[in-house]
Order: sequence, then structure tokens, then C-alpha cells
Amino acid sequence: MNSPLTGIIKDKRLIVCCGAGGVGKTTVSAALAVKAARMGKKVLVLTIDPSKRLAEALGVERSPPEPVRPPISKLRQIGISPPGDLEAWMLDPQVIADTVVEKYANNKEEASSLLSNRIYKNVTAMVAGMQEYTAVQAMHTFLKNDRYDLIILDTPPSRNALHFLEAPKRISRLLNGRIFRFFIPSDTSLIKRAVSTVLNKAMDISLGKTNRVELTTFFSLFSAILSRLNHNAGELRSIFKQKDSSFLVITSPAQEAIEEALYFEKKTRDDLDMPFNGYILNRSLANTNHKNYPDESLFSNHIISELTLNKVKDLAEHELAQMKAHTNLLENIRKRLGPSLFAEALPYISDGVSDLETLATLVDALPSN
Amino acid sequence: MDMETITSKRLIMISGKGGVGRTTLAAAIAIAAAKNGKRVLLAEVGDNEGDESPLAHLFGKKNFTEIPAQLDQNLMACRLWAPQGHKLFLQHILPGGAILSAALRSKALQAFLTAAPSFCEMGWFYHLLTLIKEMNSDGQPRHQLIIIDMPATGHTLALTTLPKILIRLIRSGPIVDALSEGQRVIYDPDKSSSWVVTLPEKLPVSEALELLEGLHASNVPIGGIFLNRFPQNPFQPDEFDTINRIFNDHNIYGKLSFQRIIRSQEAEKRLLKEIDVPIIKVDELTRGGFELPAQIAQKFNPITGDV
Repeated sequence: MNSPLTGIIKDKRLIVCCGAGGVGKTTVSAALAVKAARMGKKVLVLTIDPSKRLAEALGVERSPPEPVRPPISKLRQIGISPPGDLEAWMLDPQVIADTVVEKYANNKEEASSLLSNRIYKNVTAMVAGMQEYTAVQAMHTFLKNDRYDLIILDTPPSRNALHFLEAPKRISRLLNGRIFRFFIPSDTSLIKRAVSTVLNKAMDISLGKTNRVELTTFFSLFSAILSRLNHNAGELRSIFKQKDSSFLVITSPAQEAIEEALYFEKKTRDDLDMPFNGYILNRSLANTNHKNYPDESLFSNHIISELTLNKVKDLAEHELAQMKAHTNLLENIRKRLGPSLFAEALPYISDGVSDLETLATLVDALPSN
Repeated sequence: MDMETITSKRLIMISGKGGVGRTTLAAAIAIAAAKNGKRVLLAEVGDNEGDESPLAHLFGKKNFTEIPAQLDQNLMACRLWAPQGHKLFLQHILPGGAILSAALRSKALQAFLTAAPSFCEMGWFYHLLTLIKEMNSDGQPRHQLIIIDMPATGHTLALTTLPKILIRLIRSGPIVDALSEGQRVIYDPDKSSSWVVTLPEKLPVSEALELLEGLHASNVPIGGIFLNRFPQNPFQPDEFDTINRIFNDHNIYGKLSFQRIIRSQEAEKRLLKEIDVPIIKVDELTRGGFELPAQIAQKFNPITGDV
């Protein structure tokens, strides 16, 4: 019987990996991407705030303006050959903002006046949702033009990692005319003009007039540019709801991580009505049997005191207990999910994914068919 | 480094990546300091209305509000809330009457303050400043020690670099006055310190070093590093080689735990080599959930002893 996870990698066009920070989400996303590429797919893995070492492992830059393919030698090394292909894009907020400005400005003058604006230079990276918005935006373009067979989105490490779904909404809220109206009073209504005057006065008091004017320039330029890429938020949301999209929750066996994972499951499936498919239990000791218990007979070649042997036994007991706990956890998740959803365990890899080889080990641990 | 020195500030910021036990440790330090008679306010940075709070969960609550609530003797908790900061700021700078009430009522202004870059951080910052300045009737600070659980490294750096960036931008006026006042607290090594929580593993240590670099660049006084969930090492130095050989030669249970002990020691060595800040090892404890912070806090007591 084929594993449901393999089926998802085979059939879907978009896989969204959600989960708490620190569970190895970026690494699992990369492993799924490698797996898909090995199966002959053209894959893009999109990640926000990636670890330096993953970028190094794949041999790609950390924040390029476009997706990057790792060197062919690295792809071969990790078992990817044509037609399979892998590209990675690690998003950096400032690079993204600059790219957006350059691409969507009306002309060079407009672009350069914004790029050199004092306020823009200092605060763009802080625009809430900019990264998520761009990620979603890029995904939209890639899905439309068939450049990739599969896109894997590693969601940003925020407490509420589903914020990216709301990014388009938040950006449009920022662009909402109502906010800018009081900066740029063009309204005909006498009352609105009066309110705007009052508010401008408040802004003048708190910011100083020069700053307020500069801020106004910044916002009118920036909002004009953002509005050019402001797709219908509903349209972007509908991509996630399509049948060929899949939401996976990545978690570790740690209690806090499991609690967050349950929250993500509930939120994606019940509140947001997204196609949730199952769990990947990362760094798990479930299924790590085939080992021996440390007893005396094994150590005839070593001179070992009873005291030392007992310490080794303690470690073994501890590991066995953990293994049992993780196995129970996996079974409980499976039981609760029922047959239509899946839960897979991935092993704890002691070195962490520091290079391609360990990433390959993780890929090999995914269900083989 | 003892607990008394650690908590001898007005403000402690605890940061670190997800999954390292940062929230639990922030709670543990707060509990320990409160037990030792300090009036402590434990704060978290509130992002969105309705978000569940892992910090509040530790105290059996769903979330905290922007108004400090009593949790225990000497221990209060709240969230830093941008809209609250904005409101307090507007009340502070605007003359009362028409302008103030128009500003407070204006949905457009609220929306702008929430969505516009760095205004959100400004709200947290001003809210924090107000809490620092709150006084009891006897003229003593209402909150002697404020401990902030910083939810994401990005938030930490945004908050700590905010004064510098905005002062450069705005140069003068009430916002700059407030920021300068705040700067005098958060950049003063006698009044504030920033701690990074991490795990004794390669990647978390790399991330902690990166965060420390960022904090250092933003001029925030560094307290040090909490090396959390440090596994206990039952072996004597002379046993190590034998044990190592045994685990290499045989496929037996316990190998993973042993490798973890080795990695934790390597992580500690690396930190000692690469940075010159205090490193506090926090033993791994088996219990989780509600009891964990209190259990760690126990270990911190008596505060005069080493932790």
C-alpha cells in the first residue's frame, strides 16, 4: 500500500508546512522537496527566515531576488537527476521590498525616489506582512505559469504561523483609502476634511511637520506601488483551498510543540477550512528499534565496572522510555485522525541537518513508496 | 553569576528561538524573583487580539490583558499591547478636549497606527515605558522588575533598535522625547539586561550567537545565555573513553542519550570560546506543563547561590 504522504508529494501542486518554531520545519520542507525531485518533479521550496546552514547545505545564497537552483553536482549527490529538479528561494524582507518597488514602480524616477526615501530605507523591512505577502504573491505567479510541478511553502516562524494567510488582507487594510485620506486630504465632505485637519494636527504635534510631510510622501508612493500588486485577497485564499493544495503540520514530540500542532490542525481545518492532510512527527524516536539492551555479555571485550555499566543501563532505560512515549504519541495521533488523514514519524538525526548528507538521511527516512 | 545579580535590574528581556523553553524560563525567573520579595511584572508582547498565550497557559489562563493582573504574591502579568501604548501616548501629548477625543475615536488613526511600519513597536515601547514609570503612593516603582518574554527574535531586535532608528528619522518632538527616556532605561547596563535562551545543540547555539550579535549591535546590555535543558552527565572523565568505545562498537539503547551529552558539552565549549558573557546551565527536568516553571524556580533558590 502506498503511503499517503508519498501520494501527496506525487499528486499535489502546493504543500504548506505549518508548525511551531524550532521543530525543524525548514528542514522537513527541504526533505519533502528533495523527495519530490527524486521522484522526477520540478520543485520549488519557498522559505522565510531560513537557517544559514540549510542555505549552505543546498549551496544557495541566503536572500536572492529570485529562486536559485543548487549546483548540479549537489543535486546529483542527493539523488536528483532530470527530469527532477529543485530550486530554493529564501526570502529576505528588504530584498523583497526593493524588488517589488523596482518591478512595480511607474518609472525609474518613481522607483529611485522611493528607494532613497529616508523612511523607506529605515522601515520597509518592518512592514507587517510584506514577506508573507510576497511569498504568497510569488507562489500565485509560479502556480499560474507552470514553472514548477510542486511548490513547498515553509511558513514563517511566528507564534501564529497562519498569519501569512491573512497577509493579503492586512496589506489591503494598510492600503485602505480611509487610512490615507487623512494624510492626503482631498475629500469633499466638510466633516471629513475637518476630522482630517484635526488628525493632521495631532500628527504634527507628535511627529513634527517636516516628518509628517515626509511620511506622507513615503506612504503615497509606497501605497501606489503596493496597490499595483494588490490582487484580490479572496483569489489568493482560494489557491490554498484548492484540491491540489495540502496543509501538513510539522511537530516534534515535545509537549509544547504538540500543543501548538493541535492548534494548527484546528485552525487550518476547522476555522480556515483549508485542506489539512496530516502530521509529520519530526525528531522522533518512534520506530527506532532493532537495538540491543546493554547487558554484561556484550562487553566481554571491555573492562567495565558494575557502576559504569549501571550508568549505561540508566541511559538505555531513559531512551527506551522515550521511544515508547514517542511510539504511543504517534499511535494516538493516528487513532484520533482516523483513516483519511496520516501521521508519519521522522527520526532524530543527531548532527542536525548541517549538510547534504544528513538531509539525504532524512529524505531516506520518508516512506519509500 | 547568581540570581540576585540577574534580577537586580528594572528590566530583563528574555529572547530566543521557538522551542528552546524561553517562555518557561521567563516564568521561572519571575517566580524566583517574586519569591525573594521583588515586585515583579511578567510581560509578553501581544500581537493579535484573541491569540492564545503560551505564557498565560503556564499559569492556567488563556491570555493576559494589557492591564497587569495579580498572579501571586509579588507577581503580576500583562501583555504589552500596541493600541494601549498608542492610547497612552496620545493622552500624553495631545491637549485634552476635541483633538484628543477625535484622535482616540478615529478608526482611521487606529488602523494606521496598527498597520504602519514601526508604529506597532512604538506602541509596545511606550506601553513598556509607562509600566516602568508607574509609581506606588510611597514613591517606589510599582513594578520593581519587569521581565519580558519576547516571542520572536525579530520582535526583540525591532524593539531594541526602534529608538535609534526613529530618533534618526524624526529628530525632535514628543515621540523622540519618549524614545530618549526609554533609551535611558533599556541601554543602561545598571537598569536593563537582555538574556538569550538556547539549547545545548549545534544549530540553536549558532542561532543564539547570531541573536547576541544583533543585540550587541543595537546597544542593549547583554546579560548572558541560558543554556536550557542541559542533560545530566553521570560519567566521570575517566569513564568517558570506555563508554565511547562501547557505544561505537555496539548497537545498543542509550547511544542517542550519550551522544546528546557529548553534544551538550561541545556546545558549552563552543560558547565559552566564542563569547565572553555569563552562561547559565539549566538542568533538564523531566516534568513538564504547569509545574515546570515553579520547579526551575526552586532550583534558582536561594537566590544568593549559584544557579
